[in-house]
Amino acid sequence: MNREETLEQLKEIIKPYTNNELAFDNFTADTDFIADLNINSANLVDIILDVEDAFKIHIDNESMEKMLDVKSTLEIIETKLSEK
Amino acid sequence: MIGNDIVDLALAKKESNWKRTGFLEKIFTSKEQVLISNSENPEIMVWNLWSRKEAAYKIYNRQTGIRGYIPIQLECNYENADSGSVHCNGNIYYTKTEITKEKISTIAVSQKSDLKEIKELKSTVEIHKKNGIPYINDINNASKPVSISHHGRFISRVSIID
Ligand SMILES: CC(C)(COP(=O)(O)OP(=O)(O)OC[C@H]1O[C@@H](n2cnc3c(N)ncnc32)[C@H](O)[C@@H]1OP(=O)(O)O)[C@@H](O)C(=O)NCCC(=O)NCCS
Repeated sequence: MNREETLEQLKEIIKPYTNNELAFDNFTADTDFIADLNINSANLVDIILDVEDAFKIHIDNESMEKMLDVKSTLEIIETKLSEK
Repeated sequence: MIGNDIVDLALAKKESNWKRTGFLEKIFTSKEQVLISNSENPEIMVWNLWSRKEAAYKIYNRQTGIRGYIPIQLECNYENADSGSVHCNGNIYYTKTEITKEKISTIAVSQKSDLKEIKELKSTVEIHKKNGIPYINDINNASKPVSISHHGRFISRVSIID
Protein backbone atom coordinates (compact mmCIF):
# COMPACT_ATOMS: atom_id res chain seq x y z
CA MET A 1 0.00 0.00 0.00
CA ASN A 2 1.43 3.41 -0.89
CA ARG A 3 0.95 6.60 1.08
CA GLU A 4 -1.87 7.87 -1.14
CA GLU A 5 -3.89 4.69 -0.60
CA THR A 6 -3.28 4.72 3.13
CA LEU A 7 -4.37 8.36 3.28
CA GLU A 8 -7.57 7.60 1.34
CA GLN A 9 -8.43 4.71 3.62
CA LEU A 10 -7.75 6.83 6.70
CA LYS A 11 -9.95 9.58 5.31
CA GLU A 12 -12.85 7.11 4.96
CA ILE A 13 -12.35 6.01 8.57
CA ILE A 14 -12.37 9.55 9.89
CA LYS A 15 -15.33 10.83 7.88
CA PRO A 16 -18.18 9.75 10.19
CA TYR A 17 -16.56 11.38 13.25
CA THR A 18 -15.93 14.77 11.65
CA ASN A 19 -17.77 17.83 12.85
CA ASN A 20 -16.38 20.25 10.30
CA GLU A 21 -17.30 19.43 6.70
CA LEU A 22 -15.33 22.30 5.23
CA ALA A 23 -12.07 21.24 6.88
CA PHE A 24 -12.77 17.64 5.90
CA ASP A 25 -12.99 18.64 2.24
CA ASN A 26 -9.48 20.08 2.59
CA PHE A 27 -8.15 16.93 4.26
CA THR A 28 -4.33 16.79 4.07
CA ALA A 29 -1.47 15.27 6.06
CA ASP A 30 -1.41 18.45 8.17
CA THR A 31 -5.04 18.16 9.27
CA ASP A 32 -5.44 18.07 13.05
CA PHE A 33 -8.25 15.85 14.35
CA ILE A 34 -9.29 18.15 17.17
CA ALA A 35 -8.26 21.64 16.08
CA ASP A 36 -9.36 21.28 12.43
CA LEU A 37 -11.97 18.53 12.22
CA ASN A 38 -13.46 19.30 15.61
CA ILE A 39 -13.54 15.61 16.46
CA ASN A 40 -14.75 14.82 19.94
CA SER A 41 -11.89 13.37 21.96
CA ALA A 42 -13.95 10.31 22.93
CA ASN A 43 -14.29 9.52 19.22
CA LEU A 44 -10.48 9.43 18.90
CA VAL A 45 -10.73 6.01 20.51
CA ASP A 46 -13.13 4.92 17.78
CA ILE A 47 -10.73 6.13 15.12
CA ILE A 48 -7.90 4.18 16.74
CA LEU A 49 -10.04 1.02 16.97
CA ASP A 50 -11.21 1.46 13.35
CA VAL A 51 -7.60 1.89 12.20
CA GLU A 52 -6.63 -1.30 14.05
CA ASP A 53 -9.45 -3.22 12.35
CA ALA A 54 -8.94 -1.80 8.87
CA PHE A 55 -5.17 -2.27 8.73
CA LYS A 56 -5.06 -5.34 11.00
CA ILE A 57 -2.46 -3.78 13.29
CA HIS A 58 -2.18 -3.23 17.03
CA ILE A 59 -1.75 0.32 18.29
CA ASP A 60 0.01 0.44 21.65
CA ASN A 61 -0.50 3.26 24.14
CA GLU A 62 2.77 4.90 23.23
CA SER A 63 1.75 5.22 19.57
CA MET A 64 -1.74 6.32 20.54
CA GLU A 65 -0.28 9.35 22.32
CA LYS A 66 0.69 10.91 19.01
CA MET A 67 -2.49 10.16 17.09
CA LEU A 68 -3.88 13.69 17.12
CA ASP A 69 -3.28 14.53 13.48
CA VAL A 70 -3.26 12.85 10.08
CA LYS A 71 0.52 12.94 9.60
CA SER A 72 1.41 11.15 12.86
CA THR A 73 -1.39 8.66 12.30
CA LEU A 74 -0.09 7.83 8.81
CA GLU A 75 3.42 7.38 10.19
CA ILE A 76 2.18 5.04 12.89
CA ILE A 77 0.15 2.98 10.41
CA GLU A 78 3.15 2.69 8.10
CA THR A 79 5.52 1.70 10.90
CA LYS A 80 3.11 -0.93 12.20
CA LEU A 81 2.49 -2.31 8.70
CA SER A 82 6.23 -2.58 8.05
CA GLU A 83 6.68 -4.54 11.29
CA LYS A 84 4.12 -7.15 10.25
CA MET B 1 -4.47 26.14 37.73
CA ILE B 2 -7.78 24.93 36.47
CA GLY B 3 -9.34 22.54 34.00
CA ASN B 4 -12.93 21.50 33.37
CA ASP B 5 -14.97 19.13 31.26
CA ILE B 6 -18.65 18.64 30.49
CA VAL B 7 -20.35 15.56 29.09
CA ASP B 8 -23.86 15.90 27.69
CA LEU B 9 -25.14 12.42 28.50
CA ALA B 10 -27.68 12.34 25.67
CA LEU B 11 -25.06 13.32 23.11
CA ALA B 12 -22.51 10.89 24.56
CA LYS B 13 -25.04 8.10 24.11
CA LYS B 14 -25.42 9.10 20.48
CA GLU B 15 -21.74 9.69 19.70
CA SER B 16 -20.04 6.88 21.59
CA ASN B 17 -20.59 3.20 22.05
CA TRP B 18 -18.53 2.55 25.19
CA LYS B 19 -19.47 -1.14 25.00
CA ARG B 20 -17.55 -1.49 21.77
CA THR B 21 -14.81 -4.16 21.99
CA GLY B 22 -11.51 -2.57 22.99
CA PHE B 23 -13.00 0.83 23.88
CA LEU B 24 -12.62 0.69 27.66
CA GLU B 25 -9.16 -0.93 27.47
CA LYS B 26 -7.82 1.96 25.41
CA ILE B 27 -8.96 4.62 27.87
CA PHE B 28 -9.08 3.13 31.33
CA THR B 29 -6.48 1.49 33.58
CA SER B 30 -7.35 -1.96 34.89
CA LYS B 31 -8.24 -0.41 38.25
CA GLU B 32 -10.67 1.97 36.56
CA GLN B 33 -12.16 -0.87 34.52
CA VAL B 34 -12.93 -2.69 37.76
CA LEU B 35 -14.70 0.44 39.06
CA ILE B 36 -16.78 0.52 35.89
CA SER B 37 -17.75 -3.13 35.88
CA ASN B 38 -18.62 -3.06 39.59
CA SER B 39 -20.69 0.06 39.24
CA GLU B 40 -24.48 0.02 39.45
CA ASN B 41 -24.56 2.31 36.46
CA PRO B 42 -21.49 1.58 34.33
CA GLU B 43 -22.36 4.21 31.74
CA ILE B 44 -22.35 7.00 34.33
CA MET B 45 -19.07 5.70 35.73
CA VAL B 46 -17.51 5.72 32.25
CA TRP B 47 -18.35 9.40 31.71
CA ASN B 48 -17.60 10.34 35.29
CA LEU B 49 -14.03 9.00 35.02
CA TRP B 50 -13.69 10.33 31.49
CA SER B 51 -14.62 13.89 32.49
CA ARG B 52 -12.06 13.76 35.35
CA LYS B 53 -9.35 12.74 32.93
CA GLU B 54 -10.23 15.46 30.44
CA ALA B 55 -10.41 18.17 33.12
CA ALA B 56 -7.05 17.07 34.56
CA TYR B 57 -5.52 16.87 31.10
CA LYS B 58 -6.32 20.55 30.53
CA ILE B 59 -4.15 21.50 33.52
CA TYR B 60 -1.40 19.08 32.50
CA ASN B 61 -1.46 20.53 28.99
CA ARG B 62 -1.17 24.11 30.29
CA GLN B 63 1.57 23.22 32.80
CA THR B 64 3.78 21.19 30.51
CA GLY B 65 2.87 22.44 27.04
CA ILE B 66 2.58 18.77 26.09
CA ARG B 67 -0.22 17.76 23.73
CA GLY B 68 -1.03 14.10 23.46
CA TYR B 69 -3.72 11.50 23.62
CA ILE B 70 -2.83 9.98 26.99
CA PRO B 71 -5.96 8.59 28.67
CA ILE B 72 -4.11 5.74 30.39
CA GLN B 73 -1.47 8.08 31.85
CA LEU B 74 -4.22 10.09 33.53
CA GLU B 75 -5.02 7.78 36.43
CA CYS B 76 -8.12 8.40 38.48
CA ASN B 77 -8.05 7.96 42.19
CA TYR B 78 -11.79 7.65 42.79
CA GLU B 79 -12.90 8.60 46.30
CA ASN B 80 -16.61 8.82 45.63
CA ALA B 81 -19.03 9.89 42.91
CA ASP B 82 -18.12 13.55 43.29
CA SER B 83 -14.56 13.72 44.47
CA GLY B 84 -11.12 12.30 43.91
CA SER B 85 -7.85 13.07 42.20
CA VAL B 86 -6.12 12.36 38.92
CA HIS B 87 -2.43 11.47 38.75
CA CYS B 88 -0.37 12.09 35.66
CA ASN B 89 3.38 11.54 35.40
CA GLY B 90 4.04 12.66 38.97
CA ASN B 91 1.49 15.49 39.02
CA ILE B 92 -1.69 15.43 41.12
CA TYR B 93 -4.92 17.19 40.24
CA TYR B 94 -7.91 17.34 42.56
CA THR B 95 -11.37 16.94 41.10
CA LYS B 96 -14.94 17.79 41.91
CA THR B 97 -17.68 16.19 39.83
CA GLU B 98 -21.34 17.03 39.52
CA ILE B 99 -23.80 14.51 38.13
CA THR B 100 -27.33 15.30 37.02
CA LYS B 101 -29.74 13.41 34.75
CA GLU B 102 -28.56 15.47 31.78
CA LYS B 103 -24.86 15.94 32.27
CA ILE B 104 -21.66 15.21 34.13
CA SER B 105 -19.23 18.03 34.77
CA THR B 106 -15.85 17.95 36.45
CA ILE B 107 -13.56 20.71 37.61
CA ALA B 108 -9.90 19.93 38.30
CA VAL B 109 -7.42 22.12 40.17
CA SER B 110 -3.74 21.79 41.01
CA GLN B 111 -4.21 23.13 44.53
CA LYS B 112 -6.86 21.35 46.54
CA SER B 113 -8.16 24.39 48.45
CA ASP B 114 -9.05 26.02 45.12
CA LEU B 115 -11.93 23.58 44.71
CA LYS B 116 -13.92 25.86 47.00
CA GLU B 117 -12.97 28.94 45.01
CA ILE B 118 -14.41 28.28 41.57
CA LYS B 119 -16.49 30.75 39.65
CA GLU B 120 -18.40 30.51 36.41
CA LEU B 121 -17.48 33.38 34.08
CA LYS B 122 -20.17 35.78 32.90
CA SER B 123 -20.91 35.47 29.22
CA THR B 124 -19.59 38.99 28.67
CA VAL B 125 -16.07 38.17 29.87
CA GLU B 126 -13.64 38.17 26.99
CA ILE B 127 -11.40 35.13 26.70
CA HIS B 128 -8.09 35.12 24.84
CA LYS B 129 -6.02 32.18 23.71
CA LYS B 130 -2.36 31.43 23.52
CA ASN B 131 -1.43 28.26 21.65
CA GLY B 132 -5.07 27.25 21.93
CA ILE B 133 -5.07 27.59 25.72
CA PRO B 134 -7.58 30.09 27.13
CA TYR B 135 -6.92 32.89 29.64
CA ILE B 136 -8.39 36.23 30.70
CA ASN B 137 -6.70 39.51 31.60
CA ASP B 138 -7.50 40.41 35.20
CA ILE B 139 -7.81 43.94 36.62
CA ASN B 140 -4.04 44.27 36.90
CA ASN B 141 -3.74 43.14 33.31
CA ALA B 142 -2.06 39.94 34.40
CA SER B 143 -3.13 36.85 32.50
CA LYS B 144 -5.17 34.38 34.44
CA PRO B 145 -5.97 30.77 33.46
CA VAL B 146 -9.54 29.88 32.58
CA SER B 147 -10.96 26.62 31.32
CA ILE B 148 -13.71 26.12 28.77
CA SER B 149 -15.74 23.04 27.95
CA HIS B 150 -18.72 22.53 25.71
CA HIS B 151 -20.58 19.43 24.70
CA GLY B 152 -24.03 19.22 23.15
CA ARG B 153 -26.44 21.47 25.01
CA PHE B 154 -23.96 22.64 27.63
CA ILE B 155 -21.08 25.05 28.03
CA SER B 156 -19.05 26.04 31.05
CA ARG B 157 -16.29 28.64 31.40
CA VAL B 158 -14.60 28.68 34.78
CA SER B 159 -11.76 30.28 36.70
CA ILE B 160 -10.45 30.45 40.26
CA ILE B 161 -11.64 33.39 42.38
CA ASP B 162 -8.83 35.91 43.16
C1 LIG C 1 -8.13 19.59 24.59
C2 LIG C 1 -9.22 18.60 24.89
C3 LIG C 1 -9.07 18.11 26.33
C4 LIG C 1 -10.58 19.25 24.65
O1 LIG C 1 -11.64 18.42 25.01
P1 LIG C 1 -12.99 18.25 24.19
O2 LIG C 1 -13.82 17.32 24.98
O3 LIG C 1 -12.68 17.90 22.79
O4 LIG C 1 -13.68 19.68 24.15
P2 LIG C 1 -14.07 20.70 25.34
O5 LIG C 1 -15.21 21.49 24.86
O6 LIG C 1 -14.18 20.05 26.64
O7 LIG C 1 -12.79 21.62 25.35
C5 LIG C 1 -12.56 22.55 24.34
C6 LIG C 1 -12.16 23.86 24.97
O8 LIG C 1 -11.05 23.64 25.80
C7 LIG C 1 -10.27 24.80 25.81
N1 LIG C 1 -8.92 24.36 26.14
C8 LIG C 1 -8.02 23.78 25.33
N2 LIG C 1 -6.89 23.51 26.03
C9 LIG C 1 -7.12 23.90 27.29
C10 LIG C 1 -6.34 23.89 28.48
N3 LIG C 1 -5.11 23.38 28.49
N4 LIG C 1 -6.88 24.38 29.60
C11 LIG C 1 -8.14 24.89 29.62
N5 LIG C 1 -8.94 24.92 28.54
C12 LIG C 1 -8.42 24.44 27.38
C13 LIG C 1 -10.41 25.40 24.43
O9 LIG C 1 -10.37 26.77 24.52
C14 LIG C 1 -11.74 24.88 23.94
O10 LIG C 1 -12.75 25.86 23.96
P3 LIG C 1 -13.15 26.70 22.65
O11 LIG C 1 -13.37 25.70 21.58
O12 LIG C 1 -14.35 27.47 23.03
O13 LIG C 1 -11.98 27.56 22.42
C15 LIG C 1 -9.18 17.37 23.98
O14 LIG C 1 -9.52 17.74 22.74
C16 LIG C 1 -7.88 16.64 23.91
O15 LIG C 1 -6.91 17.03 23.28
N6 LIG C 1 -7.88 15.49 24.53
C17 LIG C 1 -6.74 14.64 24.54
C18 LIG C 1 -6.29 14.49 25.93
C19 LIG C 1 -6.55 13.16 26.48
O16 LIG C 1 -5.71 12.29 26.48
N7 LIG C 1 -7.72 12.94 26.93
C20 LIG C 1 -8.04 11.66 27.41
C21 LIG C 1 -8.96 11.80 28.48
S1 LIG C 1 -9.73 10.27 28.73
